[in-house]
Amino acid sequence: MKTLLLCEKPSAARRIAVALDDKGCPLEKKMGIVPYYESRRNGKILIIVPAIGHLYTVAPKIRNRDIYPVFDFEWVPRYEAERSAKEIKEWIDAISKLSADAEDFVLATDYDIEGATLGYMILKYACGGKEHKAKRMKFSTLTTSELKSSYDKMLDNIEFPMIKAGICRHLLDAIYGINLSRALTIAAKKWSGRYSTISTGRVQGPTLKFLVDREKEINCFVPLPFWRINAKVEIAGQLFTIEFEKKVVKNQKEAAEIAKACGGKKGKIVDIKVQEFRQKPPVPFDLGALQREAYSLFKYTPRRTAGVAERLYLEALISYPRTSSQKLPKSINYRSILESLIQEPRYKELANILLDKEDLVPNEGRKEDPAHPAIYPTGNLPERKLSVSEMKLWDLIVRRFMATFGEPAIKQSIRVSIDVNGYIFYLRGRRVLKEGWITFYKPFMRIEDIILPPVEKGQTVEIVDLSVEMDFTKPPARYNPSSLLKRMEDEGIGTKATRAEIIDTLYTRGYVSGDKAVVSELGLDVIDILDRYCPEVISVEFTRELEKSMERIQEGNEELENVLERTVKKLTPVLLRLKESENQVGEELSLAIKESRMNQRIIGDCPVCGTGKLIILRSRRTGKRFLGCTSFFKQSCNVSFPLPQKGRVTAAGKVCSYCGFPMIRLKLKGKRPLIICVNPNCPEKKRKGSK
Amino acid sequence: MNCKICGRRAKSEFCERHTEAYKSLRRMYDEWKKVMDISWRNYLKEIKENPYTGKWAKEVAAHLLASEMKNSSQ
Repeated sequence: MKTLLLCEKPSAARRIAVALDDKGCPLEKKMGIVPYYESRRNGKILIIVPAIGHLYTVAPKIRNRDIYPVFDFEWVPRYEAERSAKEIKEWIDAISKLSADAEDFVLATDYDIEGATLGYMILKYACGGKEHKAKRMKFSTLTTSELKSSYDKMLDNIEFPMIKAGICRHLLDAIYGINLSRALTIAAKKWSGRYSTISTGRVQGPTLKFLVDREKEINCFVPLPFWRINAKVEIAGQLFTIEFEKKVVKNQKEAAEIAKACGGKKGKIVDIKVQEFRQKPPVPFDLGALQREAYSLFKYTPRRTAGVAERLYLEALISYPRTSSQKLPKSINYRSILESLIQEPRYKELANILLDKEDLVPNEGRKEDPAHPAIYPTGNLPERKLSVSEMKLWDLIVRRFMATFGEPAIKQSIRVSIDVNGYIFYLRGRRVLKEGWITFYKPFMRIEDIILPPVEKGQTVEIVDLSVEMDFTKPPARYNPSSLLKRMEDEGIGTKATRAEIIDTLYTRGYVSGDKAVVSELGLDVIDILDRYCPEVISVEFTRELEKSMERIQEGNEELENVLERTVKKLTPVLLRLKESENQVGEELSLAIKESRMNQRIIGDCPVCGTGKLIILRSRRTGKRFLGCTSFFKQSCNVSFPLPQKGRVTAAGKVCSYCGFPMIRLKLKGKRPLIICVNPNCPEKKRKGSK
Repeated sequence: MNCKICGRRAKSEFCERHTEAYKSLRRMYDEWKKVMDISWRNYLKEIKENPYTGKWAKEVAAHLLASEMKNSSQ
């Protein structure tokens, strides 16, 4: 009697096979390109086979890509709908063959909406309707002990309400994405005769709208002047910066009066305020918080962090990362995790501090996730050499986990008020009195103590370097991938699993570029057009409402069919409106695409003539690309620079700090981008070359 | 009608983007006058050169200055 265990990925399948095999040594087999494992457990034969993510996808029944609206969708093998998914056929065939000999079925994919949905589809279509027969393993880590326990206590059924919600999400995304993207792409193609994919979607549209709104605010921004009174104070031979009581002075005349009144005067200490405060430990990581922290510390994009965390999970080093929980239940056994971490020399001392405590109580956050706890280290140590990014993220997760059990930090702040001719200035000091949880999280914190010399009330002090500085209000900050992710979370659109991918799509479509997300002309125009013809599809409220409907389906309080019906009803008039205005929409989009393509070719200002722009051109004779100046066409500049012939070249948005020439960003497939100066005679290049 | 600055479709002198920027310029001039003594022309010059001014606002300021110069030379 054989039992088929269906996993989400090959590496998860191997871990499950090893964990469940009585001897910890399953048979490794292959069917074509598909690896699978045969384990023996209590006399039973377990066939453990992985998928590679989703094997089935939603596709419109009408396959002609020039037709919209389309509302009839079906689940098909991915290789039928996506040209790049040919190998999926081999996986489906292999799973079908292996399932033919199996009597029992167990779903061992990730315990979340996507894991459940992809497993359901495989059980239904590849295994021939086994979805109601299958049992479910539920686990949050891939450690041997948890996998064994999850197998022994498996659930009788797969989670149907969650699956319904998953199916609904896929259908809604397809209905939205396919119809709206087709409407825009077809309009542009009909007008210009050239094909370029213009996409939007249920979550993508509102997300791009956040960026566009911010871009407009920045582009229309007019700064307002204000003034600062800067000064220093000399105490015991040391100079300290002091702040004027008002951080900004809004009027030029007032600023001049203050400077005049205080200039050359001595100050008198009139008050000293010492405050102590406790800073609670941080809460454990949920995926969003981990992505934000990794961005702020290491500049990893949310997608990269999600990818690295996924690898750490598959290595059984951390718990399941796609969680929105900030809770660490006792059942994970804090003490045994810390006892295992002791084996790693750098955590030995830290783990021992916690193990000496009688009670281990984590400082938990408010957010909960019914499926998984917050992200925590399993206590397992790496079995292989981790890459730099894996090591950094694992270290961050381990230290954060330990920090949550730490004592509150105690900090002290001192504010000395100095009266200078009737005006008050503040001298501030700060220091950490007791580190508490900071001990564990120190490498990721910047703590700068400012220790003040002893001072007393009534003391006279020397004021030096008093000056008035004019400054201006600044435009709002551009979103970066991390702050955009936060906004999506706050607005309740997308899921923890999809947000990072949606942000990435905005970049690959050319709507946004750079670390500080700058919206392109195309991005601005797509939102302008959608705003004019169908504002409802970029409305956050509508998307949020759909997310709530899916939650209700998951709770069993809403029917999938009703949600789909409402969506079709809402979308039909929108698509008809777009169709009626196809010509105008097409013209506007085509112009934006043209301008966007042109802008993508411009690298920066010409450093030689100073009036033209350096643009990527192709030689008619050799077909090779190079940089030329736009003033060449006015016959006033004939400068040119060679370019690498492989990879994607875009403007880096900065100039070389050594020679002042513009820099390019070169992205080769599978490699990290390089920022290179275009000047072949750049002194820095020569210096590096001579090394 | 096309925008006098960028040539995009426009209902009046400027397209939607530059109209917004123009409104922002006008509104902020009142604020500038409250905090310092400055003429409209000097204000536009400051705004045109200021590194924090938005791209569209800068374009409007440059356009207004250029048209003012043109008018005064006629």
